[in-house]
Amino acid sequence: MHVKILRDLRRNRWFLTGLSLIGFFFVLAMIGPSLAPFDPQDFSFNPLSPPAFKHLLGVNDGGQDIFSELLYSLRNTVLFGLLSGSAALVIGVLIGAFSGWLGGFPDAVFMRLADILLAIPAIMILIIVAAVFRPSPSVLALILAFMTWPTISKAIRAQTLGLKESLHVKAAVQMGGGNWHIIRRHLLPEMFPLYLIGFAAKTRMAMFMEASLAFLGLFDPGRKSLGMMISYALKYYYLDIWWNWLLPPILCLSFVIMAITFVAISLENVLDPRLKEGSLKETVMEKTL
Amino acid sequence: MDAVPRKPKPRWLLGVVSFLAAALVMIYLSYALPRILPGDFVTAAYAGSHVTLTAEQEASLQSLYSQDTGFGSYLLRLVTLDWGYSHAFLAPVSELFLGALPWTLLLLGTANLIAMSAGFVTGVEAAWRHGTRTEKGLIAGATVLEGIPEICTGVVLLFIFALKLQWFPAAGAETAYAEGGLFTRVIDVLHHLALPLCTLILAYLPGNFLLTRNSMMMVMKAPYMVTARAKGVPPRRVRYVHAARNALLPVVTRFGLRLAFMITGALVVERINSYPGLGTLLFNAIQSRDLPVIQAVVLFSSLIVLAVILSMEGLYRMIDPRIRHAR
Repeated sequence: MHVKILRDLRRNRWFLTGLSLIGFFFVLAMIGPSLAPFDPQDFSFNPLSPPAFKHLLGVNDGGQDIFSELLYSLRNTVLFGLLSGSAALVIGVLIGAFSGWLGGFPDAVFMRLADILLAIPAIMILIIVAAVFRPSPSVLALILAFMTWPTISKAIRAQTLGLKESLHVKAAVQMGGGNWHIIRRHLLPEMFPLYLIGFAAKTRMAMFMEASLAFLGLFDPGRKSLGMMISYALKYYYLDIWWNWLLPPILCLSFVIMAITFVAISLENVLDPRLKEGSLKETVMEKTL
Repeated sequence: MDAVPRKPKPRWLLGVVSFLAAALVMIYLSYALPRILPGDFVTAAYAGSHVTLTAEQEASLQSLYSQDTGFGSYLLRLVTLDWGYSHAFLAPVSELFLGALPWTLLLLGTANLIAMSAGFVTGVEAAWRHGTRTEKGLIAGATVLEGIPEICTGVVLLFIFALKLQWFPAAGAETAYAEGGLFTRVIDVLHHLALPLCTLILAYLPGNFLLTRNSMMMVMKAPYMVTARAKGVPPRRVRYVHAARNALLPVVTRFGLRLAFMITGALVVERINSYPGLGTLLFNAIQSRDLPVIQAVVLFSSLIVLAVILSMEGLYRMIDPRIRHAR
């Protein structure tokens, strides 16, 4: 079954495009600081000077090199998304598998909790926390993960309920396998590609949120972010800076989010026959902030 | 949602009770959370000024501005629309809130309606033309659009059409102190609405389209579709009455959730276009630590989400007889 999915994915053009774009941006985010010609906090250049060989994208109003700024911003946005996405994935998969497998009281408690969390708009909580406590970005990413796991665990739980009835799982129970053993050895590997949809959706949402919060000016102004670059560049719209200052962060943000969207959508299409209900829910929820 | 019932009890009752409980929890949170936040209106108001308050001056100012009450009376005041007084905006909270609400409703309601109906129709038609070049082109376009965040579309549209070409106003919901008849006013409001509306439609449309198309693909494989065609039902009727009705469920879900999260959904777009809706109100309130306003906006939006999710359960039953007769 998994071999067939891999083959389908390898033929899917959207998936390949998305994956290569993601690879490109990931590498760029990782090695960004060593590529950057200047320190993005260096204020010593001539403010608002146009692009030249020394400054590939010019210099911003504060006298900082825009190209270096862009590389650091990209890194911050990507890392924020990955941290939040993977935290949501771990919480969501564990809670989903456990409550689906155990059923009964723990299931009821976790699913009610999930319902309550689904009804609280995550961005509100983030905005309030960011504005009032001024925590570090990684704390915000983890808070976001805590708000977004319910959709993952609902999809995983629905799959678990189905798997519970399958013969090989029943056989494992008959052989005396414990809860944790069955979840780890039978349920989690069986549902493998399914997590990726949730992971992609949450990472994408987290990057989007990071950009939005930074655009609204809720992060530490010293921390570079794509959203913040956009909001600063927009203030100087009357100068001729749109193509070297406003456009690069917009393109970066669009391409990063687009790449993840390609992967999420193609995964969903390939996996769809197997998980009708779960995937629909995921699609429905993924863009609601 | 899909808990296995042991007794044939009315399921909707269970739903209503658990949602009422969730609503109560949220009201309590909205009451308790802001009280544990550090910093209040007094701190925020004097933080930037050169005046240094002594401890007793600060205490007396705080007691002047605070509207602290017990949870019981908080609940009572909530129901009677007496939400306190905003010292940052110098107006009653309910007045501020009700002043911003129509703009958000107008913006989000129109955007969602247009995006949903357009996405639904194109989705149905694309699925119907499965395998053709039109379908593939539409899907490719929608997938790319889906990947562009609204912060980018918003800024690009604002930059091109408002700042460079100056076809549309860059801020506000209507021209201030404008005089004129009803007709000119409507035109003026629409003129201001155009940019944020387009941004939101571009953000919502591709998702609706892809969802409709996917769920149509599933429906079209069903045997009753063959039956309908064999009976000689006209194609358009097959498409919209037989197929599309069954593909409607996920689209309605999405529509409901979008409406439910309307305040947050428009937050960024309202800020980009300086549209005076609830999102902008919330943002300004947070900047000035205006507790009563933050409370009202957060609570109201959470209650809307709950109400919409609850009523969607009922709506499913109306749309899909399979759910109505299940179990």
